[in-house]
Amino acid sequence: MLTIESGTNGVVTITGRLDASEAPRAQSFFDQVQGTVTLDCSHLEYISSAGLGVLLKTQKRLLGSGGKLRLTGVNSHLSDILGYSGFDQIFEIERAR
Amino acid sequence: MTSAAFRRSFDSLAEIFAFTGDTFAREGIDQRLLPAVDLALEELFTNMVKYSTTTMAPVHVEIVAIAEGVEVTLIDRDVEPFDVTKAPDVDVSLPIDQRDPGGLGLHLIRQMLDSIEYEYTRESRRSRITFRKTRSGAAASGRVTNKGGTNAND
Repeated sequence: MLTIESGTNGVVTITGRLDASEAPRAQSFFDQVQGTVTLDCSHLEYISSAGLGVLLKTQKRLLGSGGKLRLTGVNSHLSDILGYSGFDQIFEIERAR
Repeated sequence: MTSAAFRRSFDSLAEIFAFTGDTFAREGIDQRLLPAVDLALEELFTNMVKYSTTTMAPVHVEIVAIAEGVEVTLIDRDVEPFDVTKAPDVDVSLPIDQRDPGGLGLHLIRQMLDSIEYEYTRESRRSRITFRKTRSGAAASGRVTNKGGTNAND
């Protein structure tokens, strides 16, 4: 189960598991965001390559229009995956406290 | 050993994750290994669904508790060979405009698992992938094994 909600000040909260079955719905949401977006990953339990593809496509589009996607609340599992995939060089990342 | 069969659909992922979670709890397997095992299962299972489209046979998954960890086997019947251990590496150092998500899943699991083995039996057209994940294990990059299989693309 995955939920994605827009909050205030460009913060988007993502909760649950971003796997291949949820990626199309997530992509539909992120295709609508604009500008600089902070994605709060504090409650993102799991991500696979399908989910990383959603983030990559969104980052490419936002950077092209002067915005970007920032990732905050990144837990150790997600941090490992972002590192192994080289996404730590593509995204501004703030680890969970 | 615990086993189950899953329909060839991305919609089966929720059932697969429930299966791994239940098995880990019942067998007393270290829960810290679960995210990496779920990731590997998703990447391998979705590869089978995407690239082996000539069969409707379900994919069988077996989980065995081993010392300090777990061994997982996926069995796909009536398919062409696709050796995941021969998938090309992804250059993760490329700038974003040259990055593409293709191949990232297999790259990730090679980093996160202890070992991956691929075996193809031509007579029964059966692919068998076995991976291990333990608490003390390291990345599988140097320990991927092909047991006589060949890629459909070779």
